[in-house]
Amino acid sequence: MNENMNATSGGSISPARNLAKAMSEGAMGRRKFLGVAAASAAAVGLAACSSPGSGTTASGSASKTGKKATVNMWSWYTEDQPVWGSVIDEFQAANPNIQVVPRTFGSLSDYSPALEAAVSAGSAPEIIAPATLAISYGRAGILLDLKSALGSSFINDFFPSTNQEYSDGDKQYAVGWEAQMFGLFYNPEILSKAGVDFPETWDDLITASAQIKSKTGLVPVSLNGNPSNNAADFYLPLVTQASNNPDLVYQLDNLSNGASWNSTYPIQAFEMLQKLQQNGVFEAGAGAVTYDEALALFYTGKSAMLSFGSFIVPGLLTSASPAFNKLYKVGMTPAWTAGARHWGANQAGAGWGVNAQSPNVDAAVEWLKYIYEPSRYATIMQKSSSMAATMTAAAQGTNPIVREMASWITDNGCNHILFGVGSETAVGNAAAGVIAGKLSPTAAAAQAQSAVEAARRA
Amino acid sequence: MTVPVQAAAEQITLQRRPARRGSRRPRAGSYGRARGQGVGYLFILPAVALFLIFIGYPIIRSIYQSFTQWPGFGPSTFVGFQNFSAMFQDPVFVTALVNTIEFTAVTTIVATFLAMVLAAVLRAKWRFGTVFRVAIFVPALLSLVVSGTVWGLIYEPNFGILDTFLNAIGLHSIAISWLSDSATVVPSLIVVGIWQSLGFYMLIFYAALHDIDPALYEAAQLDGASVVAQFRYVTMPMLRSVTSIVVTLNLINGMKVFDIIYVMTGGGPDNASQSLTTYLYSLAFGGQVAGAIPAIGYATAIGVVVLLLAIIIVAAQLAIGARRRLT
Repeated sequence: MNENMNATSGGSISPARNLAKAMSEGAMGRRKFLGVAAASAAAVGLAACSSPGSGTTASGSASKTGKKATVNMWSWYTEDQPVWGSVIDEFQAANPNIQVVPRTFGSLSDYSPALEAAVSAGSAPEIIAPATLAISYGRAGILLDLKSALGSSFINDFFPSTNQEYSDGDKQYAVGWEAQMFGLFYNPEILSKAGVDFPETWDDLITASAQIKSKTGLVPVSLNGNPSNNAADFYLPLVTQASNNPDLVYQLDNLSNGASWNSTYPIQAFEMLQKLQQNGVFEAGAGAVTYDEALALFYTGKSAMLSFGSFIVPGLLTSASPAFNKLYKVGMTPAWTAGARHWGANQAGAGWGVNAQSPNVDAAVEWLKYIYEPSRYATIMQKSSSMAATMTAAAQGTNPIVREMASWITDNGCNHILFGVGSETAVGNAAAGVIAGKLSPTAAAAQAQSAVEAARRA
Repeated sequence: MTVPVQAAAEQITLQRRPARRGSRRPRAGSYGRARGQGVGYLFILPAVALFLIFIGYPIIRSIYQSFTQWPGFGPSTFVGFQNFSAMFQDPVFVTALVNTIEFTAVTTIVATFLAMVLAAVLRAKWRFGTVFRVAIFVPALLSLVVSGTVWGLIYEPNFGILDTFLNAIGLHSIAISWLSDSATVVPSLIVVGIWQSLGFYMLIFYAALHDIDPALYEAAQLDGASVVAQFRYVTMPMLRSVTSIVVTLNLINGMKVFDIIYVMTGGGPDNASQSLTTYLYSLAFGGQVAGAIPAIGYATAIGVVVLLLAIIIVAAQLAIGARRRLT
């Protein structure tokens, strides 16, 4: 202890020093104090937590009892955000005992943690955008079987691919909201300047790419490789093209019927990907190029073409100039050989599921039926320039680009979203490795298979 | 010699009014003393309660969670040490661990030394010194997300200013795709980490330099010491305690690096730039993007490993620093 303590210098003892001295002597007992504090904290913490599955939500009581029910609807579908206001007003006017509260997150990366936390806490919204967790949530009893809730006549109007991705046996846990079809968007002025036509096959694309680079110095095809699942979006239709079997990717995803990523057709698809990469079809460092950067390369005139899905149309309306939006066109994904089918990635990246554990299930189903009423749904999709997931509404699309791409779905759509445990990551990383020139086709195929098997063992 | 700033606890002294001869100094009653202590504890109770609720309880709960398998919904399954044993057979975890250690070590060494040198250089009175100090400090004011976004655009191989500049001066061979090459992605991220933090640590050293007695430098100059020798034999030893703090902060920030990696590369290409925190985040919340079921238990186990590593590293650093003060 400091020798000044016994000094006769005078001066009173300050309260702070009194406190410090008292605490250092532990008069009250630090253990006792911390014990009381911990018990208090635990009591407060427990009181603040609600038990999962209690069914009590901030939504209010179920519409069954006639009391006002709240339907919370979460998604990251930002292109729909401006549309909801009037639709909700009309619905609530017709259904005064139901209140709809939409919440739109900025991106899937923002949405995902919030949804998982809400599901874990037992306070998930009534309407969920489930994406790749639809089947998992359905099997866990979190999502309602919409086949029985909505009826087969309702379900049958959807594109089959959008139903398949949310189906598990005879149950379906979500319905598609926006279908999507991939293609090759292109700038006709650049192609004209380079003296090339839109490519029919991948070999045509390689030839055209050489012309584009020599005549214009521009990137032939901008590709979004980051995150790596976007590289899988490009790669997976190549598997269907190589095999001409639209069910193969589904079998590979499930490793069913003896399917293996380390087999002929996936390897051939990796070989085609490598061929494109080695012939300089993509921009430098495509594996690190993000969605926004790939889009920017295209609409700023630095690339002649852009490989992407129909969901970029609303993004281009926002980001690109009006002149560019009138200029660009889209063609089908190049085919494996001349005359072959132009298999292109298709499914629904956006869909809706209903929280089966919510007391407001009936209200949620009512709302779903309302927004999918054919003319209303078609109008919502038109306003957001999105591709409708039902055949009726898709045929009424007014955006020429979206409408054209929707017409390809039936004959040329194939799977590109993997739902199996570890599949998307494994295949995406393998495809990204080939695009980066780090993996050979055989090594990529072996790596993908090995990674999937390891993920499923874990 | 100016005494370096000591912790407040070491400086607290108590003074008592001395007792008069022949009189009995009234003893502080036990009741009065307990009452004073009770009031003091009541003042700090809210802070302690908040700490226990929002930090203490989550840590305890997380440690328990690390011994389970749980996808974030439904019941969790207790699996003992399975998550921990699986880590070292997980190549992505090993990569993330190596990347985290590399990032932490390099940023700590380079940022600490560079900050010290810059502070010493800028301490000298020369024109535009203030301008340079401000310019170096500005990155520290930016959020990590903004820094990562800006540098992502700088590194972009097609229109980023770095490669554009390198091509313009004829260095085509090194105008590469910095973030899509597994060999260059981590060094590229390290550069950003150093750039972001340099100004903050420089400021700490700059403030500490003012506490060094100028007489020491005068004495060194009289002895014929060069500028470099003065820096080595006067500045560095006198900044020892501050250096310890800076190193500790660097180590902690390195261990928990997340933002710049998440924004710039997402851990790619092919997990080449994963850190422990980005990997555990992708395991817990990346399911929607990666098509995998969330692995909350395994992710939490990695979080526990990060916590233990941080405790070990910082404790070692503090022990080394304490031993140096005694010698």
